[in-house]
Amino acid sequence: MHAELVQERGGAHTGAAIEMHGIGKRFPGVIALEEVDLVLARGKVHALMGENGAGKSTLIKIMAGVYGRDAGSINIGGREVALRNPREALAEGIKVVFQEIALISEFTVAENIFLERHPVGRAGSIDWKKIRAESAALFERIGFDVDPAARTGDLPVSQQQMVEIARALAHEARIVVMDEPTSSLTPNEVALLFKVIRRLTDLGIAVLYVTHKLDEVFEIADTVTVLRDGRHISTRPIGEHTHDTLIQDMIGRRIDNLFPRSRGHAKGDIALSVKGVSTDAKLDDVSFEVRAGEVLGFFGLMGAGRTELAKAIVGFDPIRAGTIEVAGRPLKPHDTRTGAGLGIGLLTEDRKGEGLMLELSVQQNMSLAALGAFSRAGFVDETREKAAVQGFVDRFRVRTPSLNQLIKNLSGGNQQKVLLARWLMRGLKVIVVDEPTRGIDVGAKSEIFALLDRLANEGLAVVMMTSEMPELLGLSDRIAVMAEGRITAVFDRDAATQENILNAAIA
Amino acid sequence: MPQSLDAAHPVPPPAPAAAMLKALFRRSEIPLLISLLVVIAFFSIASDTFLTTRNIANVLGQSALAMTAGIGVAIVFISGEVDVSVGSLVAAVAIPLIVVMNATESLFLGIAAALALGLVVGAVNGYLSAYLGINSLIVTLGTLFILRGGVYLYTGQTAIPDEAMLESFFQIGNGRLLGLLPYPALIAFVLLLAFAYVMRHRPFGRQVYAVGGNPEVARLAGYSVKRVKFACFIISGLLATVAGIMLASRLGSAVHVAGLGFEFQVVAAVVLGGVSLSGGIGSLFGMALGVLILSFLSNGLGMLALATEWQLVVTGGIIIAAVAFDEFKRRRI
Repeated sequence: MHAELVQERGGAHTGAAIEMHGIGKRFPGVIALEEVDLVLARGKVHALMGENGAGKSTLIKIMAGVYGRDAGSINIGGREVALRNPREALAEGIKVVFQEIALISEFTVAENIFLERHPVGRAGSIDWKKIRAESAALFERIGFDVDPAARTGDLPVSQQQMVEIARALAHEARIVVMDEPTSSLTPNEVALLFKVIRRLTDLGIAVLYVTHKLDEVFEIADTVTVLRDGRHISTRPIGEHTHDTLIQDMIGRRIDNLFPRSRGHAKGDIALSVKGVSTDAKLDDVSFEVRAGEVLGFFGLMGAGRTELAKAIVGFDPIRAGTIEVAGRPLKPHDTRTGAGLGIGLLTEDRKGEGLMLELSVQQNMSLAALGAFSRAGFVDETREKAAVQGFVDRFRVRTPSLNQLIKNLSGGNQQKVLLARWLMRGLKVIVVDEPTRGIDVGAKSEIFALLDRLANEGLAVVMMTSEMPELLGLSDRIAVMAEGRITAVFDRDAATQENILNAAIA
Repeated sequence: MPQSLDAAHPVPPPAPAAAMLKALFRRSEIPLLISLLVVIAFFSIASDTFLTTRNIANVLGQSALAMTAGIGVAIVFISGEVDVSVGSLVAAVAIPLIVVMNATESLFLGIAAALALGLVVGAVNGYLSAYLGINSLIVTLGTLFILRGGVYLYTGQTAIPDEAMLESFFQIGNGRLLGLLPYPALIAFVLLLAFAYVMRHRPFGRQVYAVGGNPEVARLAGYSVKRVKFACFIISGLLATVAGIMLASRLGSAVHVAGLGFEFQVVAAVVLGGVSLSGGIGSLFGMALGVLILSFLSNGLGMLALATEWQLVVTGGIIIAAVAFDEFKRRRI
């Protein structure tokens, strides 16, 4: 429906490279995409923007043939295409550069460039000479200084990312999709990337550039499409946008006050003090304090370092520099045992992978971390265990037919309550919650929310990592915003608005 | 890392000698080759009958079965799966081989019948593992038991003798090139070279490495992960059949207890040879060196009159030490 707009701006290579109309995709319980249109023009850079969960990833996975679509049509060169699997997408000339590195680390850089189709000589043997020579020539052309004979796994992530991008040039791709390509690149490499993108468009290739970085969009894109909650919001030439209009399109609605909260938690002593924490992976000089009874919300876009921070401050991941103190006592880095002993616990974002024992019961899951407290001479006193578990089940209103129900049969919200209780049973001073309502339906969300609010009122210090604005603004006393491993801004609750939070997150 | 838009020399400078040495050592073949030479040198000094052309040729002949089957098992390992069914398969294929030869007096038909069975077993293993996604260790452990049970049932716990007595069949397992090098060693060596070429220089071989190294990446690159893995199981089934034919020729019959424990011997050699259990890493030459190290070790220890019991203990210790060495080396570099 926006094809005419796009074509107006076209130059020598005008025309649509791919037309997608009415694209729909459902996952169990979630509508990921509904009635989304996207038309990419040849030789143009089209930016795709939206908040976390807006449907960007789903859309490009459909283009890559990773997901099938439930509704809508995709036309390439006036022909409807199915894109049932990655092979079909590649055959149609669609090359997607995913954010996660899609290279074989044991292979050389040169071989990875030609991974999709090894060139063969007569007799069907792989033409290694050609692979090496063409990779070297390709790197020279784009000024990418890396040894084609290097083992890919030995390169730093940013260079692997560049190899991924260079790979798009080596193939006869007509449509190149880049998913957050700059997330791990240095400024020099970003400049190199933009050079590669311009080369692609000069060749008449359509580029779909998925990002949440506004500056990049204004620098490289010709057209911008914004998605929100799986729906198409706008498609406009970049010239018609300002930072404000773009953010407005991405956020849209005002936040409905889904999560009313008790006014002002009473603040006590400093419960958690983090000073100058850096890690090898992501974090860069992070410092903050949380008082007993306070909720500190952390916001950040994908890859900002929230989960890394959560794991570091509970002693789960090693830190390179800095100190962490829980109620004035130092936490030895990379030591969850003392973390738990000092009274800091993590409610993980990955409930199934890192939190639950799916095949165990509600009782076994809840008492796991506190078994020592119920034990005498190494034997668990089951009467006391049961009484404690029942107490939490009543207090948190965990809906389960019995304490012996397997945890996997409970809803996400109730599972989350059990995990929360697991930590509180040990007597916590600080709880770190990472995406506490991920995968939980709206009703249960406000219940978890009310629970965290109550715990704060009872004097618990809560550190909440979230990518959901309503949650953030609804519960936090203070809001820290992260971008690229650093805290870029801290707002008091009353001073925080969606706009200034998002601005700090994009910085 | 230097990175500039106007880099004038994207072609890397020649690697210094130290880096080349490091790269050489990272290839697991070099330490293995050194280990093999150490083993040979040790027994040459310790025993005066060890380093004779006759003994070396004999050891090569004895290692041929494990090497032939090991090629297939290593390829399955590299694809990220496991195949332990070869121990029973070498015994099972002897039945159609001998029965058909006894009935038709044709070596060709006998071999065709054996290969057909190997193909079917490989296809069953591959279908259940690759297409239905059942854990391949369990699948092939299952076929290992089923085939052995089938052999016992068919033979009635005894051997089926070769009554056709074809000279050509006898020669497969017992003949020697120039009166010295046993044919099985020659066959194993030719197969090794052929498949090493495939794994290194044919697109299929690279697909096997990619699928084992990272199935999701392979899928995104347009490979059919299932089809590649399926093909690996077929190859393994056929190569185990070749090993079974050589074994039957040497034994002169289809023996119900043939190849008992053979799968462990092969897996041990494959792992010793640096092929990763998690897929994507390893080479067929490494596997071959692993087979040779274990063969020479067992031969030499026998010559020193070390009891078989102690040979097992020593072999086990060496396998663990070798894999630990490989693992630490990989972590450090």
